[in-house]
Amino acid sequence: MITRRGFLAATAFVVSVPMPVSAAARDLRPNVFVRLTSDGEITVTVPRPDTGQGARTAAVLLVAEELSVDPDRVVVEQAPGDTAKYGPQMVAGSSSVQQMFQPLRTAGATARCLLVAAAAARWGVPSGECQARDGFVVHPSRGRLAYADLVADAAAIDPASVPVTLKPPREWRVLGRPRVRVDVHDVTSGKAKFGIDVSEPRTAVAVVARPPWLGATVASIDDAAARAVEGVVAVVPLDSAGVAVVANRTAAALAGRAALRVTWTGGNTAADSRDWLTELGQALPAPPTAPGTVALQATYRLPLLAHAPMEPHNATASLTADGKLTVWAPTQDPGGTRERLAQILRLPLGDVSVFATLAGGGFGRRAEFDVVLEAVTCSRAVQRPVKVLWTRDDDMRHDSYRPMSVHRLSAVVGPTGLPTWRSHEVATWPLTVVPFFNDPALVRASGDHFPYRVPGEVSIALRPAPLRTGFWRAVYAGQFGYAEECFLSALAARAKIDQVAFRQRLLPPDSRLVPLLRQAARAHCRPGHHRGVACHVDYDSAIAVVADVGVRAGRPTVERVTAAVDVGVAVHPSGVRAQVEGGVMDAVSTVLGAQITVREGRVVESSFRDYRWARIDEAPDIDVIIAASDRPPGGLGELAYPPAAAAIASAVASATGRAVTGMPVTGEVG
Amino acid sequence: MVAVGWTSKKFSGLNDSRKVHVAMHRLRVNGIEYDVDVPGGTPLLWALRDELGLTGAKYGCGIGACGACTSLVDDRAVRTCVSTVAEQAGRRVTTVEGLPVDHPVRRAWIAMDVAQCGYCQPGQMMAAVHLLRSNPDPTDAQIDEALRDNVCRCGTYHRIRAAVRLAARLGREAAE
Ligand code: FES
Ligand code: FES
Repeated sequence: MITRRGFLAATAFVVSVPMPVSAAARDLRPNVFVRLTSDGEITVTVPRPDTGQGARTAAVLLVAEELSVDPDRVVVEQAPGDTAKYGPQMVAGSSSVQQMFQPLRTAGATARCLLVAAAAARWGVPSGECQARDGFVVHPSRGRLAYADLVADAAAIDPASVPVTLKPPREWRVLGRPRVRVDVHDVTSGKAKFGIDVSEPRTAVAVVARPPWLGATVASIDDAAARAVEGVVAVVPLDSAGVAVVANRTAAALAGRAALRVTWTGGNTAADSRDWLTELGQALPAPPTAPGTVALQATYRLPLLAHAPMEPHNATASLTADGKLTVWAPTQDPGGTRERLAQILRLPLGDVSVFATLAGGGFGRRAEFDVVLEAVTCSRAVQRPVKVLWTRDDDMRHDSYRPMSVHRLSAVVGPTGLPTWRSHEVATWPLTVVPFFNDPALVRASGDHFPYRVPGEVSIALRPAPLRTGFWRAVYAGQFGYAEECFLSALAARAKIDQVAFRQRLLPPDSRLVPLLRQAARAHCRPGHHRGVACHVDYDSAIAVVADVGVRAGRPTVERVTAAVDVGVAVHPSGVRAQVEGGVMDAVSTVLGAQITVREGRVVESSFRDYRWARIDEAPDIDVIIAASDRPPGGLGELAYPPAAAAIASAVASATGRAVTGMPVTGEVG
Repeated sequence: MVAVGWTSKKFSGLNDSRKVHVAMHRLRVNGIEYDVDVPGGTPLLWALRDELGLTGAKYGCGIGACGACTSLVDDRAVRTCVSTVAEQAGRRVTTVEGLPVDHPVRRAWIAMDVAQCGYCQPGQMMAAVHLLRSNPDPTDAQIDEALRDNVCRCGTYHRIRAAVRLAARLGREAAE
């Protein structure tokens, strides 16, 4: 899939035409990420999907910087799934920019050095006298040559024969500068193609009737009425997930599913998420022996959360009679999906192609490929490409949820009120989508990033998950970090010490958080509001958050949030701010009301009507301060959520006078 | 660029299993007339997306609860997922594809770099266009009120608010 930028995007559909061999041979392709043609077209192949985190923008900026070209001239191409060629492709662990930083800059720099060498050879001057500047190689006395005119010569040079040097940061003209995303024209014109927009010729659409209760399976199917719906072409039973209605068009598939009669059997019709939370509370490990009197103890109960990406799950698959499989999907992991599909379907890897479209959000859910398998099953059954579309109801009720958890924290405090010992017991579930995660050591590695100088103990009890659970933005750090920072706020309040000063005294003096706390507090400074503070360190990045909460018409309202963040080099500052803003809004949503509940074996919430995600009238002003840094980029996508949630919850506690006991902070949990 | 008589038959080969005769409905979308051959109860959203290939309006819920499908019909902002082809036949439908390149809302959305994943933005933009038609200089509270039923799961609200304010200014400047 190819996306052209800017003007091109606004005017033309992109059709890929096979290139004449002679022209292709003259292209400069020093590596898999960069291609220059003698027509002056510069293409960047982005190894990772863009799920809204800005992978395409970052990739273009990294290459454009080193290639010394205007990023607006670059055409963006999304790499198909192929980890042998492109390296790891999974959008996970906040790693996209972190892991593209070196290879994509090197890719651009290699092309630049080859173009410079070609120009130097043509002029008969040393390379060192030439400079790449804005699409040209320039020489003080020989003038300048456009890249397009040098492509053929450069392509003939062995890349290994030319030393590649990266620009020093002080020479950067693109990285770290204000600019908008590369796909901004596509998005605002409606031309951006998401998975749901895939329209391969002859594609049918399927929607799936799914178990009404947890664990229910199909007993019998009466599909007469569904087949009678005009446009319905097949009713296809899927393994345990349900029954697919395949039609020529989406509307017919939806009408067909409504007409389908399925009798379900088994399942747990008594399951209730409040009971699960009670059971987790009972499963908490016994607290260790404290080296003194426990001055404060608190318990926090956290609910199930759904990913609910704005684009519901979907995937299009075409499995031909001769065993060639092509998939187009808004996946977080095209490479891994391709490998798993080849394995499961016993197809040679070369016969499986996976194309990642834009994804309307991911938040962890799209690292899974269950919907892709459904599409493959349907395509096999009807011998056509099939797009499986999950309805919003499917998406909310059949998610891989963030696990529930119960946390008990205790502290011994010294004469100054500062904690001298801490303990944190957790009872939660593993992530069922990755069986290897059923290991307290891994859960702790994901969740526990306590940055303060307080010795203590963390113990974890993992109970079997009663439903499907998966990676949700920040994974276990979202639970652990929330509990730890809420507890720290309670300790500071107990000691009557300012929240910022309290944390600064507990941090190692050389912690990156010390200046961040200072910057956030100074920028935020506004009297008369209830304030919450929290910190977080993860993915080689650090963040401090300050939040103000007021009470409007009896309801807590987040009024303003300031975050100071150290992510190393900020490749795309607007994108950095966007990721922090997104984490803050996830925090507003989940602290003030969004949660998934289960009653009588069913997930209650089925749309944004009852999954209380924040709306614009609940959105605070958000200030993001990006600390100057010359460290390589750290991860960011999952950094802001845990501390933003804790800061907001602590501010609500200060506003309402009621201690935090879980999430959400208002109403019943679970 | 007139496409009267352009019908969903274009996707021939897909419709061979139709079992019931369905009516033609004339839709006027972004200034072009189309005859679509679907049951009258078909949600306008799916007619736009599946029959006309206009995929700017997005499916987010299908029950009027998220705003991703918001488009203009005459002068109203309509949830096209819960509005049928029969109801809207003959009216003036404007989707995000129909916004001029230099429309203040588009310019503002670009300048503010609003989008994260971008999936909700066509709906947000069309809701903003609707607001600014009736209220060229809205307060923040009025913006919040008008856009409160448009969900952005990525959390771009604070940029949306700023973009609507900017679009209002650009619109007023253009009018002067
Ligand atoms: S898709 Fe129409 S309101 Fe959600
Ligand atoms: S930008 Fe992703 S839902 Fe709004």
